[in-house]
Amino acid sequence: MSTPEVGVPRKGGFNFDLCRRNEMLFSKGIKPPSFLKTGTTIVGLVFKDGVVLGADTRATEGPIVADKNCEKIHYMAPNIYCCGAGTAADTEAVTDMISSQLQMHRYATGRESRVVTSLTLLKSHLFSYQGHVSAALVLGGVDVTGPHLHTIYPHGSTDTLPYATMGSGSLAAMAVFESKYKEGLTREEGIELVAEAICSGIFNDLGSGSNVDVCVITKGKTEYLRSHQLPNPRTYVSSKGYTFSKGLTEVLSTKITPLKQKQADTVPEGGDFMEE
Amino acid sequence: MSIFEYNGSAVVAMVGKNCFAIASDRRLGVNLQTIATDFQRIHKIHPKLYIGLSGLATDVQTLSQKLAFRHKLYVLREERDMRPETFASLVSALLYEKRFGPYLCMPVIAGLGDDNVPFICTMDCLGAKELAKDFVVSGTASESLYGACESMFKADMEPDELFETISQALLASVDRDCLSGWGGHVLLVTPTEVHEKTLKGRMD
Amino acid sequence: MGDSQYSFSLTTFSPSGKLVQIEHALMAVGSGQTSLGIKAANGVVIATEKKLPSILVDETSVQKIQLLTTDIGVVYSGMGPDSRVLVRKSRKQAQQYFRLYRESIPVTQLVRETATVMQEFTQSGGVRPFGVSLLVAGYDDNGPQLFQVDPSGSYFSWKASAMGKNVSNAKTFLEKRYTDDMELDDAVHTAILTLKEGFEGQISSKNIEIGIIGTDRNFRVLTPAEIDDYLAEVE
Repeated sequence: MSTPEVGVPRKGGFNFDLCRRNEMLFSKGIKPPSFLKTGTTIVGLVFKDGVVLGADTRATEGPIVADKNCEKIHYMAPNIYCCGAGTAADTEAVTDMISSQLQMHRYATGRESRVVTSLTLLKSHLFSYQGHVSAALVLGGVDVTGPHLHTIYPHGSTDTLPYATMGSGSLAAMAVFESKYKEGLTREEGIELVAEAICSGIFNDLGSGSNVDVCVITKGKTEYLRSHQLPNPRTYVSSKGYTFSKGLTEVLSTKITPLKQKQADTVPEGGDFMEE
Repeated sequence: MSIFEYNGSAVVAMVGKNCFAIASDRRLGVNLQTIATDFQRIHKIHPKLYIGLSGLATDVQTLSQKLAFRHKLYVLREERDMRPETFASLVSALLYEKRFGPYLCMPVIAGLGDDNVPFICTMDCLGAKELAKDFVVSGTASESLYGACESMFKADMEPDELFETISQALLASVDRDCLSGWGGHVLLVTPTEVHEKTLKGRMD
Repeated sequence: MGDSQYSFSLTTFSPSGKLVQIEHALMAVGSGQTSLGIKAANGVVIATEKKLPSILVDETSVQKIQLLTTDIGVVYSGMGPDSRVLVRKSRKQAQQYFRLYRESIPVTQLVRETATVMQEFTQSGGVRPFGVSLLVAGYDDNGPQLFQVDPSGSYFSWKASAMGKNVSNAKTFLEKRYTDDMELDDAVHTAILTLKEGFEGQISSKNIEIGIIGTDRNFRVLTPAEIDDYLAEVE
């Protein structure tokens, strides 16, 4: 039994109160809800001086494009970023949680976070949930021991690779990497190859789409290139758009409430407020 | 049948110039039978911040009460109203807490932030935030709402035009959805005023 | 234990209405090394003396001013080990707030949470109060903030405050020097001069620590080189 939810905020952890009820509903033939997914192409590669991460920006809910320009490259630490594929809420939550743990670890140690530290924290969380937290990640960063790139599967297994892809567009992207990746790429070559791999996912995988986000991490420097390429601009804009004349919609009732203008915060001393 | 189709719903929010509008249908049904035609899906958090909840009506009401409670507690503790972004994060955290036994509803959050910058966002029932600069939709009529809004929305609309646009988008969309409709409820928020309007719609 | 049997149980009031253990905790603070803080118009400075038990201790390994978040710093007077517990709990609290609201915690909120912990340790079984007072400096939407938290769990917002050895002298000095329109640089100078007042021996960048936060909302501990520059300016 959980305690009554008066003592808020809760100190974290999952809550299973509604499981029984939902299970009952679903057993009566009602379909469980679909979640926001990032169908996704996410990739990463190691180049001469660091790591390049890339992602598309489409979020889907079933066959519907729910978000045309979402962010899939998540912040972990100043020198570590992480691309997420799978259930959007899981990728977001798991990366946020670990980045918080890394921050506290940095305060405690007074050093830069290492990529393996985030890797271990992520995989042990995912493993403990036995794949139910469905986050497939590409983790990249540069630390005191050099550049690192890892992939993490929802069940908690990991790989350490020079180039990696994940998500529904991973095959399309890997095809590009397999044919063109070589060791010792320059920064520009690295970004170009990552963008090409993402584009391959965008155009060949229906779960991926819209723009290319890129993140370049080198020793002591991180560049987040949001919307690095925009290969799918909107093509169906009508120049005038629809115009509705005022009073077109039939209104049954109207209530207008004036808003109080923001006052200078109620300061206890000195009653008169400044006019804004 | 998906659980979202049990009660039926349509919620939409749109951004204008220094203002925003949030609208919902008014039907509460049980499958194909209509139970009520004045159901509230949009809830006030504070005068410049609203949340519309689509999905299972019982969870809509539970969640809105919990959120109102959390906001009141926040106001007492911090002596200020929540910014829309902050509130969205709170909703997201509350939903994700129930990751393995979720509330069966999807929020649409709309508010005016500091300097009257409008903010809108929506989430799935696990709390995955989806920020947008133009419009957000949710509910059983979401597919038709996506279509209507994609074509009707224009950037930087004045309040009057925004009201007409969101109303027309809503009414057009719910007419193509059996499970939502029976008029609409529109809230138009400008820096100085809140307009609350009920729309006349089809009753079939 | 001159205060009769009431000084023994932490949670028993003496007939005069005092909790003597808390007063003892305040004594522990009062005999600790001097720390002080000044709230300027555009920022806050906190400073402390860092006297080490022996010259053989590596002074670079000792950090008395610590970060709670990127925009909040803290310094203590009293028992160092006790402060670490509070710092750890406060950092966690700050992260919890951030994870819930995606917004950095306001200084007042963090201070209250920290003070709550300290209060709990005056009313729980099997524990003793913290032997530290904290000065918390931060910058949030409400501007620069300086708070002092005491072992009893009470906290106040200060324009300038001092604690530890020489409190009264330091406070008198600050009362004389403090002005409302003080800039951050002036505040650092005043902080150094105040520390210098009651300082035994020669003040140097090795035996004091200074932390500042300005309008950039980035709390940082000054490096010895930076402290040397300030010391040269006040000479």
